[in-house]
Amino acid sequence: MSESARATSAAEARFRVQVPNSRPRAIKVVALDRAGEAAVRRLAGADWHHAALFASVSPDGTLTAVDGGTRSVADEVNGADLVVFVAGPGGHAHATRVVGEACSRRRVTTTGFLVGAASAPEPEISKTLAQIRPWSLMVVISRSDDYIADMMTALRA
Amino acid sequence: MLKREQSDLLTQTGPGTPMGRMFRSYWIPALLAEELPENDCPPVRVKLVSERLIAFRDTEGRCGLVDEFCAHRGVSLWFARNEQCGLRCPYHGWKYDVTGQCVDVPSEPEASGFAKKIKLQSYPLVERGGVLWTYMGPPEQQPPPPEWEFITVPPRQTFTSKRIQESNWLQAMEGGIDSSHVSWLHRGDLNSDPLFKGAKGNQYNLSDARPVFEVVESPGGLYIGARRNAEEGRYYWRITQWVMPAFTMIPPRGNHSVHGHFWIPIDDENCWTWSFDYHPVRELTDAELAAMRDGKGIHVRYIPGTYRPLANKDNDYLIDRAAQKAGRTFSGVEGIAMQDASLQESMGPIVDRTKENLVSTDNGIIMARHRLLRAVKALTQNGTVPPGVDLAHQKVRSAAIVLPPDVPFTEGAREALVARPEVAPASV
Repeated sequence: MSESARATSAAEARFRVQVPNSRPRAIKVVALDRAGEAAVRRLAGADWHHAALFASVSPDGTLTAVDGGTRSVADEVNGADLVVFVAGPGGHAHATRVVGEACSRRRVTTTGFLVGAASAPEPEISKTLAQIRPWSLMVVISRSDDYIADMMTALRA
Repeated sequence: MLKREQSDLLTQTGPGTPMGRMFRSYWIPALLAEELPENDCPPVRVKLVSERLIAFRDTEGRCGLVDEFCAHRGVSLWFARNEQCGLRCPYHGWKYDVTGQCVDVPSEPEASGFAKKIKLQSYPLVERGGVLWTYMGPPEQQPPPPEWEFITVPPRQTFTSKRIQESNWLQAMEGGIDSSHVSWLHRGDLNSDPLFKGAKGNQYNLSDARPVFEVVESPGGLYIGARRNAEEGRYYWRITQWVMPAFTMIPPRGNHSVHGHFWIPIDDENCWTWSFDYHPVRELTDAELAAMRDGKGIHVRYIPGTYRPLANKDNDYLIDRAAQKAGRTFSGVEGIAMQDASLQESMGPIVDRTKENLVSTDNGIIMARHRLLRAVKALTQNGTVPPGVDLAHQKVRSAAIVLPPDVPFTEGAREALVARPEVAPASV
């Protein structure tokens, strides 16, 4: 029997090492407009162990957490493995640059998440895409806002 | 990471399982038409979604897909005689037609009507584009036959093959929507494989190994766009189509044919990988067809007389460490199809998704799981017909296209993502 035939059996799968193979990642979720804030506040209802949720970001680089506390963008990005931008259609995600530049400086991975796209006309989606694309290494446009929670779970937040 | 119960839900497709019910909502490819080449030809064993069946073409050319085992003593009808519009079990002569209806029980008086009381489970089997398709769900919910573009173009414009893959269907399918692996695993093939080389788009691929991805829900599944820089600030987009549950379509290159896959469960630890190549507006050349039959592109060479790849786990996929070290192949395995299959089979029959560490670029996979879970729930709780059954969801194309930077690809490639007869594909 070949090496591959023996190693790929269901019986052999039982011997996969059980020790955890990763350490927790720090994920920061930042709402960039009102639609984004609504989505982030819905996320706050779940029990996240490794995620920090921010309802807004001001032009001077102050993040406001969903519990009302404030942090600086620089500090939060500095401790992040992934930053998720959340915005709705309409081109109100002006603050993307504030967070995006910090992520770019620190080489932090970014995902742009467009919520509420199901009922929005393409030009409105396009306006927001133009704002988040330059700063996002991954862009997700979902019809259902509950996807973001699934994504967070999949990323072990 | 996926919870174990979610992984079980998506990977188990046998009778009575939620995902099994979902697969049984669709017409799925069952056999190549070449496997039943003529009337009264030998029957063929078929296992699909954990059901053992037998396929045959009767004296009048009708195709049937029925329970493999004779209702009398459980003999496999693979041994049956295909004669006079039915399969006759060689043990005691019981005979069945293409609907599974028993039409003769020699030991019982014909007048007794006993034969009418015996019927094997059967499923319809229709031929479209060189493929025999079956629907294994409730007859009253049977949708219209499939209309994927690769089975509706003239025969000289399309080529389909299949190969057995020794892994669960989901990890195979997830490879089909994992666009970020191409720049690594298949990097040696873009400039050498006759079905890929020469396209201008290859240079965009090779000059930018870190594409930016966008995942967008489509009516039938997902569009997965990979964006690379092109000239004058524009973007080169490669847009993959995934239509639920198991159809993927790879973006084309130059004037090469368009290609894609179906990933169909045989059982929970094996699947059929169906691979098609077609061109919407021209015939495939003899050279292209020869290359496909020789296992180039997304096809494979077989062990003669089977649909098992010549390179398989029993021979360590013919791994060539010298070729790997020299960079001729990145993994040491030759050919795009087996490069994928070898790695997917190495995960084990059903990969343990509780141990995986997905990253941002895996959003296509995460979104696909999300949509599958949502559709299964809607189907089992409310009877909602899942996406992909609607014929409109099947009229899709992948695309490779250069667009201005501020245009959503769903807008700029709107027409290119729809199959339109006698219109060339969008390709670079």
